[in-house]
Amino acid sequence: MEYAVETFQLTKTFESKEKGQKRVVRAVDQVDIKVKKGEFFGLLGPNGAGKTTLIKILCTIILPDQGTAKINGYDILKQPYEARNSFGWFHGETGGRSLYWRLNAEDNLRFYAYLQNVPKDIAEKRIKALLEFFDLSEDRKKLVKEYSTGMKVRVMLARALLHNPPILFMDEPTIGLDTISAVDTRKLLQALNTQLGKTIIFTSHNMFEVEQLCDRVAIMRKGKIIADSSPSQLREMLRDIRAVEVEVKESSDLQKIAEKLANTPAVKKILDTTNNAHTHIIRLQVENEYEAIPEIAEKIKSLGIKVSAIRQSEPSFEDIFVKLARGEEQP
Amino acid sequence: MKVDQLIDLFREEFPRSSSELKHTWAVFWANFKIFLSYRTWVITETLSTVASIAMYFFMGLQVDANRFISAGYGDVTWLAFAIVGVSTANYLWMCISRISHSLQHEVSEGTLEPIVSSMIKLRSYIIGQSIRGFIVSSYFMVGTMLIGILVLKAPLIVTVETLLSFIVILVMMIVSYAGIGIMAAGIILVYKKGDPMTFLLASITEFLGGVLFPLNYLQSYPILYGLAWVMPYTYALDAARRVLLTGATLASPLVLYNFAVLVLFTLVFMPIGLRTFKWGMDRIRREGTVATY
Repeated sequence: MEYAVETFQLTKTFESKEKGQKRVVRAVDQVDIKVKKGEFFGLLGPNGAGKTTLIKILCTIILPDQGTAKINGYDILKQPYEARNSFGWFHGETGGRSLYWRLNAEDNLRFYAYLQNVPKDIAEKRIKALLEFFDLSEDRKKLVKEYSTGMKVRVMLARALLHNPPILFMDEPTIGLDTISAVDTRKLLQALNTQLGKTIIFTSHNMFEVEQLCDRVAIMRKGKIIADSSPSQLREMLRDIRAVEVEVKESSDLQKIAEKLANTPAVKKILDTTNNAHTHIIRLQVENEYEAIPEIAEKIKSLGIKVSAIRQSEPSFEDIFVKLARGEEQP
Repeated sequence: MKVDQLIDLFREEFPRSSSELKHTWAVFWANFKIFLSYRTWVITETLSTVASIAMYFFMGLQVDANRFISAGYGDVTWLAFAIVGVSTANYLWMCISRISHSLQHEVSEGTLEPIVSSMIKLRSYIIGQSIRGFIVSSYFMVGTMLIGILVLKAPLIVTVETLLSFIVILVMMIVSYAGIGIMAAGIILVYKKGDPMTFLLASITEFLGGVLFPLNYLQSYPILYGLAWVMPYTYALDAARRVLLTGATLASPLVLYNFAVLVLFTLVFMPIGLRTFKWGMDRIRREGTVATY
């Protein structure tokens, strides 16, 4: 099988000096991944896990110390130009820094259309359409320095798509976007994947969108891939996470209430709390939800806390990610 | 625009043929547009150039004209002598420092990363940046010359032959220094701080090249005089002065000799410059510092 992205023992180490001491960080550690053509592949991990370095190596921006990778069948070290012809790259963390701020959106896109060998007439058509899609038509003549972060991010997204490459590296594509733009971007990426068969390598801190979009997810920790499977399989791996959700009527001191409930013998720990205008929820990890629920109810009664519901809770994708990323469980 | 409409647009297939000429044009075009957006800079630089020329005019009133005759530039005024020196020196350093200055900016703003990951070859990027540098610098050089000739009546010999010879020498001067400029850019990529280095190089070249005084003043200092003749600029300036002050052309033996020396410098420095630049690029790609925002 020919893969869209294939890495072979890819390794990258960075050296830095801290208080005169040499510090060596292995950002990418013998990574072997294979992404099929047409796959929507999620790459997750906490900050500093090595995701961006890995993507930058695949985009030929950073040179690896060891190993290599193939993009669309082209070796990134031996055939970098052929590899570059096959992908579009977006890096949301820059917040629009990688654009020419003293050019307008159209000219920024024209410049990259030239660099990516897009014929002029096709480029103009696409620039117009992409700016319209990303709601930038009216501001297309404004210099980018006058744009908000969200607008800059949208120009960068348009730039990554302009030459219609078969592979898209989307490093946090919804970061800095408002809710509507984020929804539109997710829809577009999904359509590019399902209708045009584009391979998408996707990173995000938003677990909801990862679960919604990705066929397969790899989790990185300290430069290594520690899990690599579908979102549903990942859920299955950690099916032993059992949780109980307590919906509290009053929002004041939710954390204190959670801490009191966590003293119940059946409760292992507090998973998280949600406290907004309408919802006040405490999620507790337990050994056995059937035994824990009556115990927690008893505790609630003794403490005089007003609750609307106590129920069993499915572990969220975020719980799974946190557990794996912290190294609490090796699948 | 709906998602489906955009998807339909992306269904269109087309051949994407790589063209280094297009890439070079794109770099020049984008950077020239950026330059034009710095209106205040252009205005202040223009005013500062005019002020410098006015200063040279008054300085020229103090200089002994016999030194120019003995240097082989004929019976000329110091102002004419200095105008050629100052305009070529500024031209040279604006062209040369442009590549490293732009690169530093691209690294700090993060715009070099998408360039590196695109289809452009680095030589097209360098040529595109250089052409922008030539054009911007030409504006200041032509301006200096015009003020000198038209306003201050500096007696430069401007005919079709001398003008063509001067342009050829100027191009050769830039090409002979391009290797050094590219080399400086490669070093600046790695060490991130380059301005003091280029500034030092510029000052030494201006001093030893004899921008404001004939080199025979240095003959009493043999080491400095010897050093002056290991710099390509000295040969370029000597040729330019012979052309514009005495009416010599490229066919004149001394001008042709200077030109040949410039070709030799190009052959030596260009490969070193390109190699150093590649070293710099590879190093920042290894260190992960293609962007430093």
